[in-house]
Amino acid sequence: MAQRTVAPFGPQHPVLPEPIQLQITYEDEKVVDVAPALGYGHRGIEKACEINEYPKNIHLIERICGICSCIHGISYCETVERLWPMEVPPRAKYLRVIYSELSRIHSHLLWLGLLCDALGFESMFMQFWRIRERVLDLLEMTSGTRVTHSVSVVGGVRRDIDDEQEKIIIKEIQEARKEAEALINVLATDPTVKARTVGKGVLTKEQAILLGTNGPHLRASGVKEDCRMLGMQVYDELGFEPIVETAGDSYARALVRARETLQAIDLILEAFSKMPKGEIFERPKGRPPANEVSYRAEQCRGECFYYAKGNGTQYLDRFRVRTPTFSNIPSLLVMLPGSELADVPIIVLSIDPCISCTER
Amino acid sequence: MPVMLPTVLRNLFGGPATRMYPVEVREPFAGARGHIEFNDDNCILCGSCARNCPAAAIEIDKEKNQLVFYPARCIICYVCAEVCKKDAIVRVDKWRAPYYTKPVEVHVAKAKKRKKKE
Repeated sequence: MAQRTVAPFGPQHPVLPEPIQLQITYEDEKVVDVAPALGYGHRGIEKACEINEYPKNIHLIERICGICSCIHGISYCETVERLWPMEVPPRAKYLRVIYSELSRIHSHLLWLGLLCDALGFESMFMQFWRIRERVLDLLEMTSGTRVTHSVSVVGGVRRDIDDEQEKIIIKEIQEARKEAEALINVLATDPTVKARTVGKGVLTKEQAILLGTNGPHLRASGVKEDCRMLGMQVYDELGFEPIVETAGDSYARALVRARETLQAIDLILEAFSKMPKGEIFERPKGRPPANEVSYRAEQCRGECFYYAKGNGTQYLDRFRVRTPTFSNIPSLLVMLPGSELADVPIIVLSIDPCISCTER
Repeated sequence: MPVMLPTVLRNLFGGPATRMYPVEVREPFAGARGHIEFNDDNCILCGSCARNCPAAAIEIDKEKNQLVFYPARCIICYVCAEVCKKDAIVRVDKWRAPYYTKPVEVHVAKAKKRKKKE
């Protein structure tokens, strides 16, 4: 019998930009057991939310994560609005969808780039990030900054997109779509990429449901579930249909994210064609009443759950976030055992881990 | 790989994707959030910027008639500029230059002083 060795993978590791540790037990080259350790990036953001007045929290919540900052901010506002409950103007709803989808494009392109980087496909990594740069420029043009956009406020959005900006966005994302399609075609057909991803880290439909995975990770295992289907924002008016793959391996997860990138571009174009003119902000009436609400939003990485409890003052009693990566980490315990040691980075990456989100 | 050919050809003849950064600097977008500056002539020291600042970067000292601004704490959200009714906070789209020591800006509210004299 081969000797068993335990190796730490992380918290500082070249392929992992974020601090998670996996204690990997392996025999020869085969992984037999894995134990994740979390807690390296805790910053106490949830507690800090109770100290701040509720409008100030938007800027704090956006700093949970650099990549999903926009959707975190928007979802915080949607959650707090449910305490009254109040309606935001229709144009604001569309603008929120446009900002969310723009940030989904840049998140997925970032992930596709990181996947190529983990495979050693450096030139492709640069190509994906080059398209992402266009989207970041669009976000800077409309919201003012590249990363922490702070576009959403309780009651609407802060910045409108005027006609001139709308034309630029439509032109740029159509060009980005063409470029992304060409690159995704290469990624999907490349034999080296396929050799490293097809059949690696398989998670069946039953296991995915049992382990409570969500987001693109769940949809790659053949489950048609997406929070955008719930009709909480205006996605139902845009004819949204979730993207599903059935194989459940790393390749399927890459394809789901690649196709979602293109879908997000289509959703933005659709949203621009249907967006009504009008007000973008409505002042909330008084302070948030004593009430408790929950809200689910589809983030770039999966389903994010928010809970808020108001007490009739400017402060919230409790604000809780459960992020997608937190529910996706248990699936690693099923996917990793039995795989080659060399495939571990790609399988870990294929759940799109965001540890700074998870630990807040 | 024939699939890659269009991308390869575009990159071959497309020129560089990057800029010669320190020499060639891109102009910021019209609405970009660079940093804030204070227009002391307009400030009446009402304190609404300090109350609404999410990063506690602005402090008001009513006794000394001054506003203290900590640029290193500022997260450039422009909430202060939105709530200021006297246009005393100017939005600048260029980035602030990096610094070695954390600066502290002390502004004397001139509009407030003038009002007292009258």
